[in-house]
Amino acid sequence: MIKKKICMLGAFAAGKTSLVQRYITGIFSEKYFTTIGVKIDKKTVIRNEQVVELLLWDLYGEDKFLNVQASYLRGSSGYFLVIDGTRRETLETARILQNRAEEAIGKKPFVVVINKSDLKSEWEIDTNALDELLSGSIAVIETSAKTGQCVEEIFTTLTNKMMEG
Amino acid sequence: MNKSSVPDDNNDDPDNINYPSGEELEKLRSLLLGPEQEQIRQLQERLDNPELHANDIGRDLPQAIVMRSNRDDRLKTALMPTVEGIVKASVKKDYKIFSDALFPVIGPAIRKAISETFKSMIQSINKTLEQNFSWQGLKWRIEAFRTGKSYAEIILSHTLLYRVEQVFLIHKESGLLLQNVKAESVVFQDVDMVSGMLKAIQDFVQDSFRTKRGDTLNTLEFGELAVWIEQSPQAILAAVIRGIAPVELRTVFQNALENIHLEKNEALESFAGDTSPFEAVKNQLEDCLQSQLKAKKQKSSFVLWILLSVFVVFIGILSFFPFRDHQRWTHYLEELQQTPGIVVTSTEKHGDKYHIFGLRDPLSNDPLKILKNARLDPAEVVFRLEPYYSIYPEFMLKRIENILNPPETVHFEIKEGVLFSQGSAPHHWIFETRKLARLIPWPVQYRDDNIIDIEQKKFDKLSERINKQYLLFKTNASQYTFEHKNKLREIVSDIKGLLQLARALDKNVHIQIVGHTDSFGAERANLRLSRKRADNILSALIAKGLKKDNFSAIGIGEGESSNEETNENADENSRCVTLRVIISDIQN
Repeated sequence: MIKKKICMLGAFAAGKTSLVQRYITGIFSEKYFTTIGVKIDKKTVIRNEQVVELLLWDLYGEDKFLNVQASYLRGSSGYFLVIDGTRRETLETARILQNRAEEAIGKKPFVVVINKSDLKSEWEIDTNALDELLSGSIAVIETSAKTGQCVEEIFTTLTNKMMEG
Repeated sequence: MNKSSVPDDNNDDPDNINYPSGEELEKLRSLLLGPEQEQIRQLQERLDNPELHANDIGRDLPQAIVMRSNRDDRLKTALMPTVEGIVKASVKKDYKIFSDALFPVIGPAIRKAISETFKSMIQSINKTLEQNFSWQGLKWRIEAFRTGKSYAEIILSHTLLYRVEQVFLIHKESGLLLQNVKAESVVFQDVDMVSGMLKAIQDFVQDSFRTKRGDTLNTLEFGELAVWIEQSPQAILAAVIRGIAPVELRTVFQNALENIHLEKNEALESFAGDTSPFEAVKNQLEDCLQSQLKAKKQKSSFVLWILLSVFVVFIGILSFFPFRDHQRWTHYLEELQQTPGIVVTSTEKHGDKYHIFGLRDPLSNDPLKILKNARLDPAEVVFRLEPYYSIYPEFMLKRIENILNPPETVHFEIKEGVLFSQGSAPHHWIFETRKLARLIPWPVQYRDDNIIDIEQKKFDKLSERINKQYLLFKTNASQYTFEHKNKLREIVSDIKGLLQLARALDKNVHIQIVGHTDSFGAERANLRLSRKRADNILSALIAKGLKKDNFSAIGIGEGESSNEETNENADENSRCVTLRVIISDIQN
């Protein structure tokens, strides 16, 4: 059995939780975020006929918890950086978080997830204008938690990368 | 030196080379490689000769098998189909060989299996009975209902001092679950997520409260549930414990973790998500699943009481009937002994039947009837009672009455050995009884002082009445007149009755008719007149059918008269005739 720890990073209300909610198995309630700042869910991915269990550490996305997140990041094989397409400031948060992650766990594969693709008309972010920090990612994927667009894809993309490495 | 036989290295012309002959070569070969050639030949022979080859393999085979088995299981896998085939073929050919070989094993194995099954079945029945039907079980059910916990949980919480329900081996850095084991019947959430969360909580505590580096979270407690955490450089061992565990248990966890670290150090260090190397540490984690039951109070269970009660009732019922029968039998014998006219001399029990020996007066109550009243089965009792006459007064009176046949007016009584008769009876019966009573063996004395002779009484009465009768006459008259008629009828009737009774009483009766006069006139004339009056009445009586023999008539003139009532008119009343009854016994 292969197990991987991955983290969901992103600004508050970027949609991390709602993004994965429909695709994962969870036993802990939302209140864990506010109590210990993290909630762990599980996602099973089949890759090359092999079962890979992803333990998804969903970190509470508020600035004051940023220092806590460092220890939660340890041992991760990869992470998602979730950005709210309709809020420019979430891109900035993502950049800080990416820096922090790299400091804490070194270079690990990560997928930039730009959420709320269903509201693309309201987007304040131009995907082409993503700076070089984010270009270090293995992929930039636009998703919609509402429609489920490309959600499975973010898991398979990251899993594939992690299994290669 | 012959040029042709010596090769010239400088000569490049191949045609000029002189090769040694075959024989020479062979010679040279044997000179140079003689011993090796022999070895090769021997090797060749060993390879070609199946017998030698088999001998070699046979020699090496046991060691080869041991070595191979130590390395991995491939030999087992390779041999399995062959061995299975051999067994099948052998059984098919002659199953007896196999069954004979297995016989000594199968017997004990079956016995053990059966005894184990029974043991566990009894234990489980006991447990079920105790938990389901005892008062405690009911309380626990109520508690389960009240708290919303499962019944099993409540049972565990009450019967376990502590139990290690689950053990996690967690990769320290990533919080990924490497291995976990759980106690039987423990229901748990997704262990991977729980494992991650445990790690997260640790990090949370460390980060939030800025603990010293190296300090770790050792224990999480929540009510009766605790998580004990042991750490090593690469791994975390977390044990979920229900109840209060002894501190020594921590050493068990520490040892387990140390051993795992020792064995799997490499796998831990290079862990990148593959948990398969940690399958092997399952046994060590299972050793951590310890538990201790609460010392059971030496309290007999409700079920035991019920069983005991049932047993007692059963024994009670079993012994009740014999006991009851014995009681009835004893009472019956007592009653029999007290029954007048029955004497029990001995009793015996032969098989199912009671034998009663003794005496019985025919007049006594029927022992069989008493037996039925005592609710004993007549079929179980045999009577050996000899008939006899009891002198029990009641029976004697019955027998006496049978002999003496008294009229209803007579009552017998036995007092202090004397038979008394009371009441009234005809003269004849009294007379006969006196004779018969002498024949009665007991009581020997008979007294009839208090018996009244009916005829005698009547006789006396009539006699008295006749004596009081008088017939009045006018002055100087002596004739029987019409006025005397009614009185005379009475007198005749009484005299007839008296005479009749006298015969029955064996008495002679003579009636004297006495004539009286007043004091007037001459004495002589009065005497004559009185005589005449008596004669006339006598004639009248005879005329009424009475016999003359029984009468005599006398005249006594003036003088005594039995007529006392007429004293006031003495003269008037003295002119009369009176009657005097004279009784004498007939002489036999």
